[in-house]
Parts: sequence; C-alpha cells; structure tokens
Amino acid sequence: MAMDLEAPQLGLGLGFPYWKPLRRRFTPESPFFASGNIERELLVKQLALDLTEDEKRQIRNFVDEEGRGVFCPIVGCGARLTCLEDFEDHYNARHTASCSVCSRVYPTSRLLSIHVSEAHSSFFQAKVARGDPMYECLVEGCGLKLKTYKSRQQHLVDKHKFPTSFEFFKKAPPSKKQRQKNQRKQSFVKKSDASDMEVENEAIEDLDASRKQKKKNQRKQANLKKADASSMEVENETMNSLVSAVSKLITSDSSPSSISFGRRPTRGLTFVPRTVQREKKPDST
Amino acid sequence: MADDNMASHRRDPIKSSVGNVAGQRRRQNAITVGKERRESLVRAKRLCRVGTNGDSVDPLDSEMMIDEEQSILEAQTSTAVDELNSAVAHQGKGAWQKRVSALRELRRLLSRSEFPPVDAALKAGAIPLLVQCLSFGSPDEQLLEAAWCLTNIAAGKPEETKALLPALPLLIAHLGEKSSSPVAEQCAWAIGNVAGEGEELRNILLSQGSLPPLARMMLPDKGSTVKTAAWALSNLIKGPNPKAANELIRVEGVLDAIIRHLRKADDELATEVAWVVVYLSALSNIATSMLVKSDVLQLLVERLATSNSLQLLIPVLRGLGNLIAGDSQTTHAVIVPGNEITGNIIDVLVKCLKSEHRVLKKEAAWVLSNIAAGSIEHKQLIYSSEAVPLLIRLLSTAPFDIRKEVAYVLGNLCVSPIAPTEGDGKPTLILEHLVSLVGRGCLPGFIDLVSSADTEAARLGLQFMELVLRGMPNGEGPKLVEKENGIEAMERFQFHENEDLRNMANSLVDKYFGEDYGLDD
Repeated sequence: MAMDLEAPQLGLGLGFPYWKPLRRRFTPESPFFASGNIERELLVKQLALDLTEDEKRQIRNFVDEEGRGVFCPIVGCGARLTCLEDFEDHYNARHTASCSVCSRVYPTSRLLSIHVSEAHSSFFQAKVARGDPMYECLVEGCGLKLKTYKSRQQHLVDKHKFPTSFEFFKKAPPSKKQRQKNQRKQSFVKKSDASDMEVENEAIEDLDASRKQKKKNQRKQANLKKADASSMEVENETMNSLVSAVSKLITSDSSPSSISFGRRPTRGLTFVPRTVQREKKPDST
Repeated sequence: MADDNMASHRRDPIKSSVGNVAGQRRRQNAITVGKERRESLVRAKRLCRVGTNGDSVDPLDSEMMIDEEQSILEAQTSTAVDELNSAVAHQGKGAWQKRVSALRELRRLLSRSEFPPVDAALKAGAIPLLVQCLSFGSPDEQLLEAAWCLTNIAAGKPEETKALLPALPLLIAHLGEKSSSPVAEQCAWAIGNVAGEGEELRNILLSQGSLPPLARMMLPDKGSTVKTAAWALSNLIKGPNPKAANELIRVEGVLDAIIRHLRKADDELATEVAWVVVYLSALSNIATSMLVKSDVLQLLVERLATSNSLQLLIPVLRGLGNLIAGDSQTTHAVIVPGNEITGNIIDVLVKCLKSEHRVLKKEAAWVLSNIAAGSIEHKQLIYSSEAVPLLIRLLSTAPFDIRKEVAYVLGNLCVSPIAPTEGDGKPTLILEHLVSLVGRGCLPGFIDLVSSADTEAARLGLQFMELVLRGMPNGEGPKLVEKENGIEAMERFQFHENEDLRNMANSLVDKYFGEDYGLDD
C-alpha cells in the first residue's frame, strides 16, 4: 500500500501517514484483477452463447457489487449500499441533519437534538446551573446523564472507548468577513442617512456570517479545559453581536446621536426598522 | 449452414448453431441473468462443443444445437450411459465400434446444450466407464470421445469437476508425445477444466506430474494443441502457491517458446500465452527476472501498440504491469528514462488510457502509478507526456475504480523519492508538478475521493490534501482547499467509524484551519 503510519511527528502531531510513492503489486486472486478476469471469460464465451450486451453488463456489475458490498462508514449507521456511487445520496439523505440556529451538521437527528438543547437552550443552561445532570451520553441506548460537558466527555472515553480527541461541540472561529467587521466596528465611521439600515443589515449579516462560518468551519478545539466556558462562547458571540446591533437601533431611535457609539450625528429617524418593531412588540404592554 | 463448421477452423466457436433457439427462449423467460448462468459464464472452465479432430467424420456434428427439455435430455443421457455400459462389457468382434458409437452418443448429449445433463450422466455411472475407455492401447477415436465427455463433465459445477479424480492419471498419461495430437489436446482440455476448479485440484494435478507434458505441448510453433495447452497451463499455475509457476519457467524450451509465440503467433494463441506470462510474472520472482532479461517486455509493448483485440490487450497489459511491479531492480535497469523502450511503454499506456474499455484504463493507470513511483526522471517523463491531460480528465469523469488508480499516478508524480532531509520525515515535494496539476484542476477530484465510502480512496484524498495544504506556495493551499469544499469533506470524518481517517482529517483541519486561519489577510 502506498501509505504507512509514521512515527510520532512534529507539527501535525502523532502519526499522519504522509503520501509515499510506492510500487503496488497484486496477487492473481486479488479483487483488483477481478474485472479483467471476468472480461476474459465473457469474451471467450460470448460468441458461443450469443450473449447480449445487456447480459454482459449485468454480469460485470453483479460481480463488482458482490466484491464491494459498501457499508456506510458513519458511526452507528451500518447501512448497506449497493455501490459506491449511492453513498453520496445516502449521506445527504440521512446524515445531514442541520441545526437551524447555527447550521452545524450532525449525522443523526438524535445528536442534532442533543446539540440544540446543549448549545441553544437557556432552559437547558438553567437546569445545568441548578446542578441537574443534563449532558446525555451520545451513545444510543446508554441513557446516562452527566452534570458537565467535560464529565460527559470523560464518560465517552472511559466507557465507550471514544478517542480523547473527539469533541462533540467544536468552537468555530469567526469568518474572515466577521473578523474584518469586528475590526471595523472598533473604529466606526458611517454615512448618516443609510446608517440605521446599515446597522440593521450589519446585524443580520453578522448573524448570517457566523452561521455560514460555522457551517464551513467546525474545528477541533485544542483545549479541553475551556470546554464548559467555550461551549457557551460561540453562542454568546452571536448573541452579543445581535444584542449590540439591536441596541444600536433602539438607541438611535430615541437618543441624540452623540450618545451612539462612533456614529456621525443623525438628523433623527424617519422610519423605524422592522426588526426593532418586531422586537418591541412583545415588550410593549 | 451444415457445412459452415466443417470448413471453419477447429477452434472457432459455433456461431450459429449454438444458442439461437435456446437464446430466444431464455430471453423470453427471464430478463435478468440467472445465477446458474452467471456462474457458468465467469468460470475459468470451457465447454468443448467442436472436437479437436479437425476434419470431423461425423456428419451429425454440424447439427443445430439440441434444444430439448432438460428432463428429456436427462433421460436420453441415462440411456446413453447404459448403452455404453453394455458396449464396454461386450468383447469380441466389432466391440470397439460399438463403444465408439455409444461414446459418441453420450458426447453429443454433453456438447449441445447450454447446461449439459452432467448430473444425469454421473448418476448413471459414467465416470468408471469413461475411465475404462481411456485404457492404454485403445483406438484414438475411443480415447478422443472419452476425453471429450470428461472435458464437458468437468466444465460445470465444482462437485461435477471433482468427479473426474479417478480419470486424472490416465488423462495425464495421454498427454505424452506418443499420443496423437487431437487426443493429447482433448486430454489437455479436460485437465484445464479440472485445474480451473480450484487450488486443491491443481495441487493434485501437479503432484501427479501434469506440468511437464503440458509444458512440452506448448513448444511447437502453431496449432490448436499449442493454444489449448497454453490455456490449460494458465489455469494450472495460477496458484496462489508459486510452486507451479516456478516449475514451469524452468522447463527447458518454455521461455524460448513464450518469446516465439509473443512475437509471431496469431491473436488467439498469443492471448493464451500472454495469460501464462501474467501468472508467471505475478507469482514467480525467478520467472519475472528471466522474462525481464529477455525480449519479452519489448514484445508485450509491440503487441499493445499494434493490436486492437481486447482479448489480447488485457493479458498483455497485465503482464507488462506485473513485470514492472514485480522487481524494481531488474525493471528499472531496463526501463531507464532515455531508453527507447521506456518512451514506448509510456506511449502504449497512453493508448490504453484512451481506450473505451474500463479494464484497460484502470490497469494502465495502475502501471503508470508504479512507474511514477520510480525516480525523478521517471516522474518527469510521465509528467511531460500525453498522459497527464488524460489523467486529469479521467479523475473527474471516469468510474470510481479508474479514478482511484489515476489518483495514485498524480500523487506519485508530486512526491520525490529522495529521503527527507528534515527531521520531521515529511516527504519532499516536487513543487513544479504539484502546482501545475492543482492549477489544471485536479483538486476537486481528490476531494471527491475524500468523501467516498471507500477507506483507501478517502485516505488517498486526505494524503493529497496534505500535500496541497503544505506545499502550495504563498499559503494558497488552505484557500484552494476551502474553495473546493475541502473543509466540509474533512468534517464528515468527525462521526466516521474509522479512527485513522478521523485523526488524519482532524489533524489537517487543526493545523491549517485553526484559529489563526485567515488572520493574515
């Protein structure tokens, strides 16, 4: 095989098997040669037996699939697929349960729902704060609940032989757009007329960007110690930018511009952005 | 129609007489190819429908194939065996004519339908009778018909083939040079079927000394006997034990005959001899060494260049591939970049890549990948040839098994054989090749492989991504990978059951798409 497990490496960490150009030799009985062997026999017999192209194709396909018998490699699935080409469809149909809040993707609806509780539910957080064991074991059928993310992690490693590197909730770094926006907000200069719409758009954009970013960039978290705090961090980040955007809108609505953070003086609003209206409705009594 | 087969070459399969009526009925009854038929089609055994005796004296030989109900056939077969029984018992005048006649009747029943009534014949006790008919001193016609019956009994299911065990010593004995050619050939055919059954029977045949006489039958320049013997040998030496292959190459005159046939023989004979080369090169290091030192490589290349017969191209390509894969010392002494033969090899491999046949494309890519695993000069030779644009196109459009082999070629082109000087052991890249191939759009194909359910392919894809992430200049690697949805592809492994792949993907994401990703922009 063209790959080898290397000794512990610097940089990439333990055991990344780098590409090694190696000669590959196969024995006559190797599955690699199977399709050629079948072709040999079909070609010899086809004239005598008046084989049609259709029959030949069926035989070739049958033997290929027999040899393959592809199983879905996603943990806990085990679905048998007739051929490799079917895998992509199967994956998209069964393993892309996505979170409507942060767009993270999970391979089962159960894991998705666990994520939603743990990452986006204040009810969940409240119970955790009270000391209830809320962090479910991820292995279906186990049923155990732990009090902290970290202890659940440890349970997975100890009882279910998960790798220590496994991380259920991965922190996503902000996207490039988001980072630039963060930097710009620090020294904010905007045109007056468009400013309110802009801020609203920015707020929505911020949320979109971080959503998009999380969809693109789930990443392994380096530091387990930060697990508890950071599981809240991203959500907080999102919450914070939304809150600050909305608060800017509310501020600009009722106060003189000089109080608003870093913006040029406004001449007063001629309209109230829809988001503010929506937000305000439940509040108004 | 009646005269067609008489005039045609002995070895031609019967085109018109077999199968038309049966074929139609079959197609009416079943749309899909049934299990029994499928198994019979892919077996390494062959039914004998036209005798080895060139000018058949039997006018009935050219009849349309029997298309009777299976039960009628079986009844007739039992009857025929009974007839044979009494014929064998009968002594005295005209006895041998009776025997030949009975044998002929049985043989016809066993040669004319798609699924001959072998089981009925066995149940009626055909084998001991046929063994008796093979006794020394019997007339040639008797030997021929008996061996023909045995050939077809052995052409089907495993238990039927195994039934031939009592007949093997005699069949082998009649391979001798004193036998008439058609008789020897028919016996070789029967032995070929037995050898095609499996390792156990092969070992029995070998221990009974079948190899030397069969090998000698391959030495003459031409004739159907040579072809049948070559085919039987290919079944006999296919292993997995290399003993037979080692023994064959040592038989005096065999190497010379192989060379001669590869050079001069017609397509059909060359095909069977090429299969012998396939098994010799796959199993025997001694044979590989001897073959490489001779003209065989050159002859294989010439056949690849000039022939368009798929039947011939498959074993020739594979033989070439086995020789190149077999032994780096000897082959790299021959396939030196700059030698004419080396350029010729690349040319014929390109021809195979352009072929419409899946097997040729896949195995040609495999051979190229092994050459690309050689020296830097080998890689440069392939890189600057017509192969690369073809490979890049195949990486996006071809079926999966071909794409995987193509991936091996392209990746091998990008990594140097020089041992890494840095302490971390990362292989040295050939930057020019990597940049060019990525620039010509090969990255999406590799990322596709990462997403496949095949472990080996996913590994290949991840390994290539590491090369790109590490090697592309100006830190372009991560951006390129991101653009082609490489990050998503790697994220799939979070919940993948294969721990190695998970770790590989995770380590790449960590290193190249970590917190610092993009901050320098």
